Amino acid sequence: MSEFFNQYFNFNVMGEHFGDVFVAFLQNLLVFAVATALALLWGLALALLRQLPGRKLMPIRFLTITYIDVFRAVPILILILMISGGVPFLTFLPQEVRIPHWFGRPDPFWYGIAALVMVYGAFTAEVYRAGIEAVPRGQMEAARSLGMSHFQAMRHVVVPQGITKIPAPMLNELISLLKDTTLISVISLSEAVLVSREVLAERLNSSALTLTAIFFLVIILPLARVVDKLIERNQLKIARGSHIEVA
Amino acid sequence: MAEAMLRLNGIHKRFGELEVLKGVDLDVAKGEVVCILGPSGSGKSTLLRCVNLLEPPEKGEIFLEGQDICKGPGSGSGESSWNLDFVRQRVGMVFQQFNLFPHKSVLDNVTLAPRTVLGKSRAECDEKSKALLERVGLGDKFDQYPERLSGGQQQRVAIARALAMEPRVMLFDEVTSALDPELVKEVLDTMRELAAEGMTMLVVTHEIGFAKEVGDQVVFMDDGVIVEQGKPADVLDNPREERTKKFLGLVLER
Repeated sequence: MSEFFNQYFNFNVMGEHFGDVFVAFLQNLLVFAVATALALLWGLALALLRQLPGRKLMPIRFLTITYIDVFRAVPILILILMISGGVPFLTFLPQEVRIPHWFGRPDPFWYGIAALVMVYGAFTAEVYRAGIEAVPRGQMEAARSLGMSHFQAMRHVVVPQGITKIPAPMLNELISLLKDTTLISVISLSEAVLVSREVLAERLNSSALTLTAIFFLVIILPLARVVDKLIERNQLKIARGSHIEVA
Repeated sequence: MAEAMLRLNGIHKRFGELEVLKGVDLDVAKGEVVCILGPSGSGKSTLLRCVNLLEPPEKGEIFLEGQDICKGPGSGSGESSWNLDFVRQRVGMVFQQFNLFPHKSVLDNVTLAPRTVLGKSRAECDEKSKALLERVGLGDKFDQYPERLSGGQQQRVAIARALAMEPRVMLFDEVTSALDPELVKEVLDTMRELAAEGMTMLVVTHEIGFAKEVGDQVVFMDDGVIVEQGKPADVLDNPREERTKKFLGLVLER
């Protein structure tokens, strides 16, 4: 029992490597921030493409649905390995795309973000879709009957209402995304899990991994409460019949 | 006869196996109020939705101000053609369920389409829209949100919202059917005023009294065709067709 505690909860090891692990964890947060912003945009784009009307745009809808299905099914770990192993050899791409070092970040950083955005774009697209489809059909019809284009109706009428219905499921996706940033350790990005495992190799002690887990807990637990508050506030507003704020 | 604002020629519409409209012809003169009656499932709502191409007809012609709106690029698909712009900016529609935008204030409900579709400035729209709200008796409600209003008030906002695009023709799809009885009158009064001002109106309704009083022409539909049409006094008081008699009997029995 004491061996277990010493292996995973050695406060000396945690204290000595706190700085290293913390700096590495900031890398996770940075990946999370960039990937979240891009995935939310990409997911919305996918959701809108999926909702395009009319028979002529069927191929676009079909392609979008195929994309969403495929990228929800592919394990992110495999995608990260495929991108980092494959993209550098796509010789038709310019050098700075094949081996990106944008904003002073190493190429594993960008390969990881690419994989996360591809997958989480698909997942968030489905969340957006749920929100969009929860808006009554009459809203789109009213907007169209007033002369708005499909896109204008989506932008001003349907999406603003749909988004207010999805903060909770969306935050669940983002919490998953945050945790999945650790997968980029597999291509040697110096994020918290990789650094913790280096500590493990050096000290033969796993407490740095526990410390990393604690960092994730500290960030994610309050987020869950934020979701509760968001939902509560929205319900109050609906009950009072006042303006529903668009997140 | 006055200039034909709207002319429908042999309109057909089917949803899968179900043929909802089986060849409907109708002429609507400028400033005329046409009331469309009929049992549910008779195709009267679908007919309205064909007129503004929410449901493009499969066969037949619709002339709006002499312009055939079922022809031209994108026709039949119901999407992104010059027809749609032409039609939707000339034809306003009011729905049974109001369909106000709940996330926008009453004023923004009215100004949204002029601002986004016609690119007008907010200042310009606000002034005009307040006047429109005044006209439907809701001048003081402009900063409220729709949920705060009664059904009758919401429906009057919906009328103002449609009028903001300055339509030549207004379509009313059972606009009082979802209202509590005591709220019906305020909406009908608004429509009366509109008719008196010379608006061309197609009104799908079960309000026989309104049809008799305001209608210039009454159309009775059943099973996807027009069974009988004519002056309200003729159709409503002395129906010739058996189906019309039966329907009116059922409605008036209430």
